[in-house]
Amino acid sequence: MLKIENVVAGYGHITALKSINLEVPQGSIVSLIGANGAGKSTTMRSIMGLVKPTEGRITFEGKDITSMKTHDIVKAGISLVPEGRQILQDMSVYENLEMGAYIRKDAEINDDIKKVFKRFPILDERSYQLGGTLSGGQQQMLAIGRALMARPKLLLLDEPSMGLAPLVVNEIFEVIKEISAEGTTVLLVEQNVRQALKIADYAYVLETGKIVLSGPAEEIRHDPRVMEAYLGGKVE
Amino acid sequence: MSEILNPYYLQIVMFFIINAIMGISIFFTLSTGQLTLGAAGFMSVGAYVGALLTLKAELPIPIAIFIGGIVAALVAVVIGLPTTRLKGLYLAIATLGFGEVVRVIFLNLEVTNGALGLSGIPAIAQELTNYVYEFDMDGLLDIDALTWGNLLTIIILLVILALVILFCLRIHNSRVGRAFQAIKADDHAAELMGINVVYYKMLAFVIGAFIAGIGGGLYAHITNFINPTDFSYHKVVQILLFPVFGGSNVVWGSVLGSFILTLLPEVLRFLADYRDIIYGALLVILMAVRPDGILTEDLMDKIYRKLGVKKKAYIPETQVLTERFEAYKAQSKSGQE
Repeated sequence: MLKIENVVAGYGHITALKSINLEVPQGSIVSLIGANGAGKSTTMRSIMGLVKPTEGRITFEGKDITSMKTHDIVKAGISLVPEGRQILQDMSVYENLEMGAYIRKDAEINDDIKKVFKRFPILDERSYQLGGTLSGGQQQMLAIGRALMARPKLLLLDEPSMGLAPLVVNEIFEVIKEISAEGTTVLLVEQNVRQALKIADYAYVLETGKIVLSGPAEEIRHDPRVMEAYLGGKVE
Repeated sequence: MSEILNPYYLQIVMFFIINAIMGISIFFTLSTGQLTLGAAGFMSVGAYVGALLTLKAELPIPIAIFIGGIVAALVAVVIGLPTTRLKGLYLAIATLGFGEVVRVIFLNLEVTNGALGLSGIPAIAQELTNYVYEFDMDGLLDIDALTWGNLLTIIILLVILALVILFCLRIHNSRVGRAFQAIKADDHAAELMGINVVYYKMLAFVIGAFIAGIGGGLYAHITNFINPTDFSYHKVVQILLFPVFGGSNVVWGSVLGSFILTLLPEVLRFLADYRDIIYGALLVILMAVRPDGILTEDLMDKIYRKLGVKKKAYIPETQVLTERFEAYKAQSKSGQE
């Protein structure tokens, strides 16, 4: 569904991605894991057109989106839940969700808001509270809900577990699984490697701008290098 | 009656209305989070184009002013292509530079009469006074023809101001207004929601320039005299203060700000040179006490509620949509019965 081929991208003269290849098959959950500064967020930003790759090609459903504008990429069917949530602080929860459906003009927007409220009942209770007054976990739920309002075919999640209490993290990962089960393809960037590998079908390990390991999540989880570097367990 | 309606007071009212229009033009770009200082530049384009059209081409005043606004908007399209991609202070500096460039151009052009400026621009009040004579309204209600002319000018200006305000209020609650708000709150997030940020920033910039151009045209045809120094850096700061002082989040803020800041120098006239001190002190106090200006969105909500025209009520029925709430509603209904 999404294909990244030999993409090189960076900021100024710092090259954050050194020719990476990545593929997200339809209907799957793909996890992209790696340490700080490995280039995970840059990969996400390149897909969304927020960073323009200097080399390489990104295709979505066979269409080249490498040089497309961000808002057109959203229209093509990719939504990003950004790192740090980026909730509209001065708009209510309800309005935030409405804004998520900005590209749509159909009559089913209200039904979709209902669906988001059903998925996250706490947002329903807070529907007319301002986005900025929500807790971190609630904001993350709102950010996911908002991204879903665009009815994406592919949902990108950038560190959805960051700064959240363990219980809330579990809840968020449950929701990601649900979203995937309902037919949305998911590309997940995580530092919480254990959780990310548990729900993923495929995984890519990124180190200083290069893919060093890739394959089915189950395999990656039992790879001795990954266990040592990310899961804190030595291989017996 | 004639004491209240003396030309000096009437002129202050006219300047207040023009200032309010100028304040709204800056409010427009501020509502997308862009700080532009080009208002005086666009105002001067509108003023000069309008004045030249009535002076040299002898076009009717309304048409000349309208064309002035259009030309200002067209200039904004050209200026906006590179500058609306800038952010924060860089945009402010670039647009400030634009204003100065325009001023220097008008200072050196032959057709604009250089530093001497354009004089003898047909005045709106004068034209209207002629109509007053024509329709034999001189002395009607004990008001002489000249005062009638001024009064009618004020009414026309008020109608234009009302239209501009209405336009702002309409846009605020529309799809475009929502895009503006999202861009102001977080342009990055707005882009990720599929909003074409560059387009909407440009739209706000061009509409702001059009309003400023109209304001400039009105200014030229009320003072009958313009010269390049009318539109200097000083003017930009003055215009910028209207929304900042009155409240930069609501359109009424620009109106209130221009009302206070137009009136204040006149009221403090007896203090002569000391009045600038008071003016400055007032600004410092206001920024310390109410950094968002006098009128904020919360305050407007309260005022609307007091007036009984509550704009957007938080009625949970329209906001909360799940069955859980419907069950709650049914429950409370049966409780009432």
